[in-house]
Amino acid sequence: MNPHHHLHESTLMSYAAGALPAPLSIVAGAHLEHCSQCRQRLREAEAIGAMLLEQTQPAANDARREQLREAMLMQLATETETDLPSAARPLLQERPGANPDHLPASLHPYFGSTLSGLRWRWMAPGVHCIRAEQMPSLIMLKIAPGKCLPMHSHGRSELTQILRGSYNDALGLFAPGDVADLDEEVEHQPVTAPGVPCICVSALDAPLVFSGWLARKIQRFVKL
Amino acid sequence: MYPDAASTLLTFDTARIVSSSQQPSSEPTNWAGDMDRVARLRDCDCFMRIYDHFMPRLCVYLRGLGASDAVAEELAQECLLRLWLRAADYDAAQGALSTWLYRIARNLHIDRVRRERSWLQVQAAVEDAATVDMIERSSAEQFADQARLRQRINELPAVQARLVRMSYFEAKSHSEIAEALGMPLGTVKSHLRRAFLQLQSKVGGAL
Repeated sequence: MNPHHHLHESTLMSYAAGALPAPLSIVAGAHLEHCSQCRQRLREAEAIGAMLLEQTQPAANDARREQLREAMLMQLATETETDLPSAARPLLQERPGANPDHLPASLHPYFGSTLSGLRWRWMAPGVHCIRAEQMPSLIMLKIAPGKCLPMHSHGRSELTQILRGSYNDALGLFAPGDVADLDEEVEHQPVTAPGVPCICVSALDAPLVFSGWLARKIQRFVKL
Repeated sequence: MYPDAASTLLTFDTARIVSSSQQPSSEPTNWAGDMDRVARLRDCDCFMRIYDHFMPRLCVYLRGLGASDAVAEELAQECLLRLWLRAADYDAAQGALSTWLYRIARNLHIDRVRRERSWLQVQAAVEDAATVDMIERSSAEQFADQARLRQRINELPAVQARLVRMSYFEAKSHSEIAEALGMPLGTVKSHLRRAFLQLQSKVGGAL
């Protein structure tokens, strides 16, 4: 997987700052797992945060600082590595993307670990969805091949990571590994490619604004 | 590799004597040598130099994110204790020490204060994937990157600087920034994008 559509620079900065709303950060994570280019830029965005940290001007509060310092020295004398749960995680058995049935690890808590294990619910003709538990604005969508989705724009931000299949819209072709990073100014009408269904995971920061009757019906039905 | 008990005590005593006063300059320091001694020799003096530099800064950062004084102090202490315990995990070729600490502080805050369960899981997934990334930058190169970055932060246009600070120091989302400043969301995003491109440390010359 070699993505052609990447996270917007402002999204990377927001992620690095810990300011991206949770559902969006989960989809961003799903993209970052498969995109070394965005991981590289993320490191640069984190370096900006570190430099801002360097530049803070701490107020002098020497008495308190001295107390904390003493407390730290005490801890150094007593703590050993065993007091901290190990940071080591089991290494991945396979490279990300190696098994086509595997979902990105960021999505596992919400959708399980495999595509084949997903339990789709009918949403509209040609469209199935799964809403993440306890994360209502995070959804998985499966759109039938050759399907034209209703024209819609976005109330705030939407991040969509393509997992299988592909679609076309005014911004180009979106294939597995690509992320669509959209905001309120984009009104688009995705058309899925023929052949296989398009499966994508999508997070919203605010309600979608649909502009057609079918769309409004879908909206009422799924309360997007 | 641990020093014996007697020399540990001696090290702690020396560390107490070392003044905790701030360095007058805000120039970034190259901590690679100190970290190496912390990791290999469990050198307490080196650790306390790092501690004295970062502890007050971490407190300012965490308070900015909305933590109370007490919580900010507790989290900052925990950050630095992690640095001590996991010093061997730090790889200077992967990035500056300040970036490593920044990440620890940010993650602790999101996990403990905002209690977003999803964040650490996503972090772990992205970090696992990042083990295949090859980044080798000498500490001198990184030091030069940092100096350039510092210069460019100071040169950001006022609006961009404000949005960058609202993102990093107040953890405000794009839509929160848009609402607070009465600015269209797309404008917030394009200002931040321009700021990012201007700050990118690897790009030589002005953009």
